[in-house]
Amino acid sequence: MCKYIFKIKAILVVALASMALVSCDDFLDKELVGNPTEDDYYTTNYQLQTALNATYDLLQSDSFTNIEWWFGEACGDDVIDSDEGLSSDLGQLVNFRFSNNNSKILERWTTLYKGVHRANQVIANIHKCEITNTQYNTYKAIREIYGQAKFLRAFYYFGLVKTFGGVPIRPEVETVDNLVIPRSSLEECYAYIEKDLREAAVMLPNRYSGGDCGKAGAGAAVGLLMKVLMYEATNGTPSEKWEQCAQMGDYFVKGDPMTMAKMLDYPARYEGMDWDELRESLWFKPKALNAGSDPYEGPDYEIAKLSTAYSLEYRDAVNNPLTYYEQFWIEGEFCKGSVFEIVFKESGDGTLGDTNEGGYIYDTLFSTSTTMWANDERMNTIFGTDARRQYVLGHHQTTPDMQNTEIGSGRNLPLKWYTPVKDRSTYGGDNGKNRRVMRYPEVVLTYAEALNECGRRAEALEALNSNKRVVNKIDNSTVLYIGGGYGYLRDQIWKERRIELAFEWDRFWDIVRTGRAKECLAELANSRSNKRGLYFRKGVNEIFPIPQNEIDISNGIVTQNPGY
Amino acid sequence: MKKVLKSILCILAVFAMVACNSDDEVEQPTASVSINKTTLNINESMEIHFTGSASDVVVYTGDLNHCYDLREESNYGLVVNKGLFTYAYSTPGTYTVVVVATNHGNEGKDIKRDTYTFDVKVIDDVTTIDKISAPAVLYDEVFATAVNENDWVLALPRKIKYKTSTPSVSLSQKLKFYIESDMSEISIDGKAYATNTKYNLANPLAINVRSHEGSERNYTLYTINYGEFKTFELLGVKGKITRTEYDYSYYEINLEVPAGSDLSSVAPKFTLYSTNEVPYIDGVEQISEQTTVDFTKPVTYKFVCSHPQKPELKLESTCVVTVSVK
Repeated sequence: MCKYIFKIKAILVVALASMALVSCDDFLDKELVGNPTEDDYYTTNYQLQTALNATYDLLQSDSFTNIEWWFGEACGDDVIDSDEGLSSDLGQLVNFRFSNNNSKILERWTTLYKGVHRANQVIANIHKCEITNTQYNTYKAIREIYGQAKFLRAFYYFGLVKTFGGVPIRPEVETVDNLVIPRSSLEECYAYIEKDLREAAVMLPNRYSGGDCGKAGAGAAVGLLMKVLMYEATNGTPSEKWEQCAQMGDYFVKGDPMTMAKMLDYPARYEGMDWDELRESLWFKPKALNAGSDPYEGPDYEIAKLSTAYSLEYRDAVNNPLTYYEQFWIEGEFCKGSVFEIVFKESGDGTLGDTNEGGYIYDTLFSTSTTMWANDERMNTIFGTDARRQYVLGHHQTTPDMQNTEIGSGRNLPLKWYTPVKDRSTYGGDNGKNRRVMRYPEVVLTYAEALNECGRRAEALEALNSNKRVVNKIDNSTVLYIGGGYGYLRDQIWKERRIELAFEWDRFWDIVRTGRAKECLAELANSRSNKRGLYFRKGVNEIFPIPQNEIDISNGIVTQNPGY
Repeated sequence: MKKVLKSILCILAVFAMVACNSDDEVEQPTASVSINKTTLNINESMEIHFTGSASDVVVYTGDLNHCYDLREESNYGLVVNKGLFTYAYSTPGTYTVVVVATNHGNEGKDIKRDTYTFDVKVIDDVTTIDKISAPAVLYDEVFATAVNENDWVLALPRKIKYKTSTPSVSLSQKLKFYIESDMSEISIDGKAYATNTKYNLANPLAINVRSHEGSERNYTLYTINYGEFKTFELLGVKGKITRTEYDYSYYEINLEVPAGSDLSSVAPKFTLYSTNEVPYIDGVEQISEQTTVDFTKPVTYKFVCSHPQKPELKLESTCVVTVSVK
């Protein structure tokens, strides 16, 4: 009997000892030595730069590339898609017959929020940077990292807002206590984006050169700001947003002076904030520390001109002439007309498996198994007899580097998606050319549209024709657009915008922005036996549903868009 | 002690068997829901909160491809993940919604279902006109303006500058309506609207919008021409109108009078297209050959043109007269 009691006691002792051990988790709380943590990482501008690089890195991912062409181009009326059936999520998306669980919509949401999160890492930690001297350039280096992070955050949020309407604005510092954030209104989101872009515009140089090419400069910030303001405004309705967009164009394109306070919209957007306090928050060198030769940027300080940094002419970074299509190739990287582009660099070893090298666009879109193309009927609709039509090639035609196109009969693909043989890597999936996200012609055409909406029609015509004059050099044409009333000029601007920006993955957003999506997609549907576009629901499909997954995990705090 | 241990082991074995038993018996699910509304407008979200109990919930919304009765013929239901399901219908009608709650066990061999069925009525009751335009005024699309709940005004110029010519603008124009619903029917002066028909804008047009649901709303479209001088003469010299292609409400008259003419107080002779057009200078009505004007510097006339059948509807335009001396 005693033996059993002893055994039972022994078992109990062992069990209690085990429980005691389990509860002793002090070793988990020990400070990590030697490895950086989020708390002590962002103390130098080099560390901040790595965080910024991660924010740029997302742009190079196949996931980001995919969400851009799925929505910006494949949903639009310029292309025929290889997958227009209703059995796949992509087919359902481009037919506007998707459910709230569509995986493509979820991927756009998660990818763009990943970008927001990475930008927030930089922005939330910028104050931790410890400077070792008080030289002006030390502040400038950190300021430029900060400014680029703000630009990128605005860029990602703009992608979310034009897709979903008002979205949750994530806190810069994320904790487990505030994982669920309700949606902000559309106006609040746009105000947030505008503020980031206005601040980026005063923090960044007009454009980067040399080894810094590819970083977003003030041109990218102001160009995107103009686009955001245009998206906030409504065609045919006079508004402060159109006026502001035209003012930004006066600065960017026309070359009018712009002060820091005007760009920042100070003091209106900074209630009660002292100017020097604002300067310091944006990493301008504190006034008290200024040495004699250091500039002091007061409210009336004139920021650098952008009009001389960009050009409509087809010129490379060192002013050598380019052909129209070379603007989109390696020859045209960082050319005079490039405002913002995604940099794809060959990986160190050039081997397979690295998906961030830009070859993906060529491999996916310019091949016999391309995912979208323009048929001859679409070509006529888009280009008519315009000279730029010749840069979209059909089956068994010859590329400028003398390659036979094997893209399928009846299909036409733009040289904008093509990578010449000499620029392709030995290894599949590697190398490739940069993707132009915003070009100067888009800025000028946005300016023209804003001028027309503001009643400055003679100037609008001049801006519109400034691009057409350069295009005319392709075939020595003398045809220009003609002056007229509001509707006539607007239609001509939209026509030029469609041709100039064709196949740059912006068409769907453009027809939604201008309120023509239903009309344009119905026109496409009439030309197609499968009637793609017919199911676009006006007043609903201009924005997509919040992914059901997000609503579920938020327990309904994140609400659905109307009509879904 | 052995007996005690045996008893404990037996009890544990019974517990284990009871626990394993749950794999074999599938619990009956319950399909119950709460619905925010059963009468919806087109594109209005229906919210279904699942309040029952089941491991899987699927909703057949009853519209194209989602009919429960056709589930054996490739129609399918939409999955509810965490109790909240939203959906909107794009065409009016009555739809039978079936919520299917399912539990399954024994590796899927045992399936128990419960269904909850209800009807939703979807109506299309849009009678609101968002925009009206004359889409082909020579080359331009000119938009009308809503002045109140029912009245719209279309402002048209009499002539338009196009390149080097100034063609006249007809009052017979096509019209374009921007309405949210494709199913709303529009009639003009009692006849069905057609996109290719030209309508006589000289008289107000009675517009009726009838929704799919049967509601009706009436509007009136009034057309007013921008006021301008038909002729303008000063000291025997006839002025000629110069138009701009960009702004139909603005034009200029430039004329040159003989040397030695006194421009400080002259009464110009002019004619107008209609009595509804009144020119003003600084708020003072101008009368041909009566009101004197100082033409030593450019003079701005403000025209106010009212609609003859509805005088409260007014349209303003501007004419700047510049006189030089030879």
